[in-house]
Order: sequence, then C-alpha cells, then structure tokens
Amino acid sequence: MTNVVEGIDEPRRGDAPRGHVPGDASMWFFVIGDLLIFGIYFVGYIYYRGQNPDLFLHSQARLNVDVGAINTVVLLTSSLFVVLGTTAARAGNPTEALRRFGVALAFGAAFPVLKMFEWIPEITAGITPGTNLFFMFYFVMTGLHLCHVLLGLVILCFVIRNLKTAATPKISFVETGATYWHMVDVLWLVLFAAFYLMR
Amino acid sequence: MTRRRSRKLDQWITFWSVPFFFTIFGLVFVPLSWMMPPRSPSASTPDIVAFMQSHNLLVACVLLTLAYGLAPVSNAVYLMQIKRMSVSPAFRYTLMMGAITGAIVGMLFPMFCFGLGAFRPGYSPAVLSMLYDFGYLAFIGSLGCFCVMWMAFGLAILLDKNNVLPKWLGYYTVWQYMSELMAAPVWINKSGPFAWNGLMTFWFATALYVSWQLVVYTCIYRSIKKQPEAELDNADITRTRDSRTGAPA
Repeated sequence: MTNVVEGIDEPRRGDAPRGHVPGDASMWFFVIGDLLIFGIYFVGYIYYRGQNPDLFLHSQARLNVDVGAINTVVLLTSSLFVVLGTTAARAGNPTEALRRFGVALAFGAAFPVLKMFEWIPEITAGITPGTNLFFMFYFVMTGLHLCHVLLGLVILCFVIRNLKTAATPKISFVETGATYWHMVDVLWLVLFAAFYLMR
Repeated sequence: MTRRRSRKLDQWITFWSVPFFFTIFGLVFVPLSWMMPPRSPSASTPDIVAFMQSHNLLVACVLLTLAYGLAPVSNAVYLMQIKRMSVSPAFRYTLMMGAITGAIVGMLFPMFCFGLGAFRPGYSPAVLSMLYDFGYLAFIGSLGCFCVMWMAFGLAILLDKNNVLPKWLGYYTVWQYMSELMAAPVWINKSGPFAWNGLMTFWFATALYVSWQLVVYTCIYRSIKKQPEAELDNADITRTRDSRTGAPA
C-alpha cells in the first residue's frame, strides 16, 4: 500500500520545481503592491477623463504615437530576451544567458533615450505638465514609469554581474530581476493603451 | 530580574513616543486648527484671512512647540534597528538627516506660517495669502525629504543580511516611497487632482502612507521584542563592567 502511494507521489515530486513561485517570494509583495498603486492611479485617470472627455481626446491627439509604438516594441523585445536568458540560466548555460541578458539590457536602455526624443520636442513646443490635466497625468504617470525602467536597468546590471562573476549563478535572483522587468513591461502596455490609444 | 527587564527601556521609550507624538500631531492639525485636510489652494481671500486669524491656530502652535522635540525621539526607534543591520552607516545618516529636514520643512515651517497670521492681527490680506501658500506648500512639499529618507530605510532592509526586519517590508517601503514622488506637482496646479489638496497628491499618498506606517510600526515592535539582549548597545557597558577581558561574542 505504502509502495503504491510512493509510486504515485514520485512523478509529482519531479514536477514540483515547475510549479514554484519564480524568484524571491517577497519580491511579489513589491510587484502586486506596485500594480495596485498604478491601478489606483489609472482609476483616477479614467475618472477625470470621464469628467472632461473632449479635453483629454484633443490633448491625446498631440502625443507622438510613433515613438510610443516603437518604445512598446523595444520593451517587448527586451522582455523576450529576458525570458530567453532566464531559460538559458535555468538550463545551466550562463554564457548564453549572459549574452541574452546583454541584448535585453541594450533594448531596455533604448527606452529612456527614445523617451527623450518624445519629451524634449513636446516640452520645447510648450507642452508641459502645467498645460492641462491630461498632460499632468501623462507626464506624472510616464515619468513614474520611467523611474521604474531606470531601476529595472540597474537590476538587470546586477543580474548580469551575477551571471558573469558567480561560479554558480543564483537562479532565484535571475528570476527576481526578470519578474520585475516583466512588471515594467505590463505597466507600459497599460500606459500606452490608456494614454495613446484609448478613444 | 527588574534590571534585566529594563535593558530595552530606551527602545521602548522611543517606541511609545511614536503614537504619543502622532496623537498630538493629529490633534493639532485636524480638530484644533483644521489645517488638515488641506484647505483649497484656490480659496477666496476672505476665507484665507478668516482662517489665518483664527485663535485656534495660536493654541495649536503652543501645543506643537511643546511636542515638536518628540520628533527626534520617535525617529530614534528606526535608527536603533537600522544600526543592527549589516549595511553601511550611510543609510542611517540619510534616514536621520532626511527625518530632520523633513520635520523642519513639514512641521516647523507651517507652524510659523499659520501661527504668524493669528499672532498679530492687522497683517494685510496679501501677506496672509502668501503665508497660507507658504505653509501648505512646505507641509506637502516636505514629502521629498521623507521620500529619500524612506528609500534609505527600504534599501537598508533589502540589503541587510541579519534579517532584522522582514524583506517584504523592504519591498513595501520601496513602493510606498515611490508614491510620495507624487508631491512634486503641487507647485504647478491650484485645483484638481494634482493640487496640494488633490486626490492624487494628498489623498492617495496619505492613505498609502498611514497604512504603511502602521505596518512598519508593528514590524519594529516585533523586531525589538526579538532582539537578543547580548546584542543591545548597552550590553557592552554592563559586560565591560563585569569583566574587561571578555571578548564580545
């Protein structure tokens, strides 16, 4: 009887690592909390948008959708390489993981640069947070997101250092960094939809 | 036995000074003076003058002058726990200086601004309006100081290898302080969600801050409880008195 039970349990034990929470468990406290805050801010944005739909639509038309779309592709590509890098690190191939995380970092670093190509022409054209409520929301929320991207780039650098210098890289740390980076990505997708595309 | 129990007395005094201080602070700002919740930045001049000359402000300032010194005492409770962490003293000093600059700008400046108007009747409405703006901008604008202060606190928790405070609290602190960055737009808008009494700058930030502060406070309580007596700062003093040769464990 006991043997049979053990026999049934065997494959399950083998499957266990696949079902674990990736990365440092407390990191999820950050991710969920951060999504919650942004969620509250989005609700605020939608509420004030509903109060004054014309102003928001007209202002929205003045945003540079092209740079926004390019930045979306850039971040998604970066996230893809983070996934590939994490897979390589899990498979015990730190050299390949290192290369892929390097590509992810390069794409990620392009985001703030492109953001400047978006913001500087807007600010020189006289569009500032003081222009109206839409631009206040726009600059505050994309600015807050940019802070997250910059922090994410620092975290990616630490992941790369971990892969480069450690004899046996800490997979949980790689996963923690990847989780954070994906959160930054998700936030941008919602921001892009709410600020550039919503009609 | 009694001597042993009083070893953490210093920490418990600083700990209990926090609710005491916040109660006085709350009394002064809310029911006594109605400075909080913040009045509107676009209030009419007669409203501003009536508020700035109300006598309650003088009572509020007297109480605040008496209680102000508790701010350094209550911040000592965080510093003593950070000192136990395996992190650079830079974090401790940043927290200390951030707390002090924040208290000066966020508490002393508004106290003087609001107190001045009530102190001598006869200031012109223009002067009173300026003091009103100064008081509120200082109160809300001081969040920048607190932002850096709590960033140091959050990072210290995350980098600490002694597990003095739980790691999730470090992450919680990091996202809490990010919400305080929202204080910057108070300089731009005089009404709406980003004004100093706005939904985004004041209400969300305050709701997040208060709940976070309660959680931190609970964690600090547990951390003091768990702290081994041999590790206390004043343990050294008694130990050297007992035997000068004994090396610390």
